[in-house]
Amino acid sequence: MVNYRRFLLENGLRVLVHEDKSTPLIAMNLLYDVGSRDEDPAMTGLAHLFEHLMFGGSINITDYDTPLQLVGGENNAFTNNDITNYYLTIPSENIETGFWLESDRMLELDFSPKNLDTQKNVVIEEFNQRYINQPYGDAILKLRPMVYTIHPYRWPTIGMDMDHIKNIDLEHVKSFFFSHYAPNNAILSLTGNIGYDLALELTQKWFGPIEKRAIQPRNLPAEPLQTEERNLTIEKDVPSTALYIVWHIGPRNSSDFYTLDLITDLLAGGESGRLYTKLVREKKLFSEINAYLTADIDPGLIIVQGKLMKGVDIQYAEESVNEVIKGLQSKNGINDEMEKVKNKFESSTVFSNTSILNKAANLSFFELLGTPGLINCDVENYRKVSHGMVIEAIRRYIIPSNCSTLKYISTRNEI
Amino acid sequence: MNKLQRIQPLALPVEKVLIPDTKSFILSNEVPVYMIEAGTEDIMRLEFIFRAGLVKENLPLISSTCNMMLSEGSQNYTSEELNRLLDYYGVFLNLTAEKDCAGVVLFFLSKHIEKVLELSREILFRPVFPQPELNALMNKRLRWYLVNREKVQNLAIDQFFESLFGKNHPYGHQVSEQDFENIIPSQLSDFHTKYYTPGNMAVLVSGKIHNKTEELLNSYFGNISSKEIKIEGAVNFLTDNAVRKVHINKPATVQTAVRIGSTTINKRHPDYPGLKILDSVLGGYFGSRLMKNIREEKGFTYGISSSLTSLDLTGYKVISTEVSQKNCKRTIDEIYNEIKLLQNVPVKKEEMSVVRNYMSGEMVRMFDGPFALAESFRSTWEFGLDNSYYYRLAEKIITIDPDEIKELAGTYYNIDELYEVTVGSE
Repeated sequence: MVNYRRFLLENGLRVLVHEDKSTPLIAMNLLYDVGSRDEDPAMTGLAHLFEHLMFGGSINITDYDTPLQLVGGENNAFTNNDITNYYLTIPSENIETGFWLESDRMLELDFSPKNLDTQKNVVIEEFNQRYINQPYGDAILKLRPMVYTIHPYRWPTIGMDMDHIKNIDLEHVKSFFFSHYAPNNAILSLTGNIGYDLALELTQKWFGPIEKRAIQPRNLPAEPLQTEERNLTIEKDVPSTALYIVWHIGPRNSSDFYTLDLITDLLAGGESGRLYTKLVREKKLFSEINAYLTADIDPGLIIVQGKLMKGVDIQYAEESVNEVIKGLQSKNGINDEMEKVKNKFESSTVFSNTSILNKAANLSFFELLGTPGLINCDVENYRKVSHGMVIEAIRRYIIPSNCSTLKYISTRNEI
Repeated sequence: MNKLQRIQPLALPVEKVLIPDTKSFILSNEVPVYMIEAGTEDIMRLEFIFRAGLVKENLPLISSTCNMMLSEGSQNYTSEELNRLLDYYGVFLNLTAEKDCAGVVLFFLSKHIEKVLELSREILFRPVFPQPELNALMNKRLRWYLVNREKVQNLAIDQFFESLFGKNHPYGHQVSEQDFENIIPSQLSDFHTKYYTPGNMAVLVSGKIHNKTEELLNSYFGNISSKEIKIEGAVNFLTDNAVRKVHINKPATVQTAVRIGSTTINKRHPDYPGLKILDSVLGGYFGSRLMKNIREEKGFTYGISSSLTSLDLTGYKVISTEVSQKNCKRTIDEIYNEIKLLQNVPVKKEEMSVVRNYMSGEMVRMFDGPFALAESFRSTWEFGLDNSYYYRLAEKIITIDPDEIKELAGTYYNIDELYEVTVGSE
């Protein structure tokens, strides 16, 4: 059980506090409700580039990292489709430095032109390292625009085109900051060796004086219902052929989210998952195969991806995947398997909640979803999934008209 | 808001780390067990460590394959049954085969201790290495290998180890495609019989330890005895390469991987704590000189770092980065410049404070919670050291002076002795 308390500052900042005295550290997680889905389609990658700029100095502090290191702290951040999340851990005696740093960059950034130029280059190298210079690295870049036609999830967080990054100037950056970075668009979580009273006092002191800002309203185009199968085949000089099969699902808050999560665990939760057992172990069609949800806030995806063994017919591999998924509708052995993935889910939740950083990140994210209590009833929701619900979800989502397939064909003479 | 109100809070010195005691005892067959009680949840981490790493290989891939095959079928369970049971009890199993040690780590809810021990015994002492599972594994590993050989960073580190340790030593040998076809079950079972023995093993338990753990460990593992087997040991001659610079051409890549470093002292050497601090200054954290210069100043790379690793027979240091081809030469020059700077100019007081405090904070994180505690314990235990190593390091972090860092840079970073490996398109 993760006990926590919440409060709301007058400027709209939401705060969650969970005390855990077993650690000498405090974790601080500051989530901003802005991600790549909030970008102008002509300027994709800005939210993530912006995350880099947040470390380049703020209005009263020339450099973010050094003062934090000076008090024994460590930090990082990530951006995804939906959110930008900043986090740090710090020995508890020095927590006020964390408040000072985080509140200052919420107050205002330094907006240095030199830093912007440098970080644009860093992001381009990040793009090269992750997406271009890796076999299969560009698969996700090909998949997104096939699966999403108008919703902003059609581009990746890093940006759909590095020219977008090159064209970003300081004015874009400033306007992005003032329309998305504000106390009323953020959620602060504090976990670890900190009591509620101290948390409240320090939050008031450092974040309280920051004024509310006018947040750019979110008005995203809904992705129209897919009505027919989509296919894309690309050929590349990679060691083996890869297959990506994708279906649309509902938003993170929809009632069948846990059912779908459980389905991917039945399929690919560890070596005893069905896809692994049937297609890697028994039929030897794939060398590896995985299934997961994107867990986006807006309607997301189930993705199955695998690498084929040599000489396997890709059509047959694809049919076999579908057959395994459909097989989950049969009663045969399913109860034990459902119990197994539920136990594993419970165990992994307990493990995840041993980390103050995970607890802080989860509290912020669940608060954003409007249900902070999920941190304690995730397992219960997952346990409630019945076989009937699994059957229903498969009937609803795992259908050809809802499916997109990317065949990533190896042009190499296979070994 | 008034600027004056935003005064930087006082930086308080990070409190010295207090490492909880480790309880130790031996099983009836003299296997040492170490227990660290920590944490708030009813969970445990259980590690079985064997001196069965890469260094023992008489045949390429044998150590990692033996390790990966442990959960692929035992006397009483098929591979599928083992994996299903582990999942059913919510157990996370990590198989680990490193350069010196190999073994398994299990994470589980404390209440399942008995089942976990029963399955561990099957995995560790009753594996049967079935041929079909072996074929599947080797096929799979060959695929992974082929994908990895496409990545410049993998090609670079493999070549780096070959340059440092020699192509005939297990530390430095680069595997080839043929190696994946050569292994047969009897070789695995020989390797297993020779190295996965009680005499070669230690057990490390941490978390909220179940009160029957000692008794149960004895009943599941205390009566297993070692068997003698004669197979040839590994060739243990480390031979460094005479060629210091190697470039591997990998056409059609947009970034070049750079690895620069050499063999060096390991944790057993008295200079090691100081060298660890020097390594941090150079490239060991986000505020390091290399990060500041190559990423934050010049924007040449997404990341650059240096690290220091201890091995049983030696140690090594390596600087790693991936940079665009056009900036590769300048990056390498800057790396050498940064090393020369450390050899010639003492680190300023302000930078010393940052490094001291950052590293003191790191030490707090290294002993926070049952998992971190176990890992920290293991990484000194492996070298026959105890927690006094960490106290020496903590002391050194506070007391080291800039001249000592300069001297260490002169002694341990002789530029003429560094190896330089680059992989990218010409």
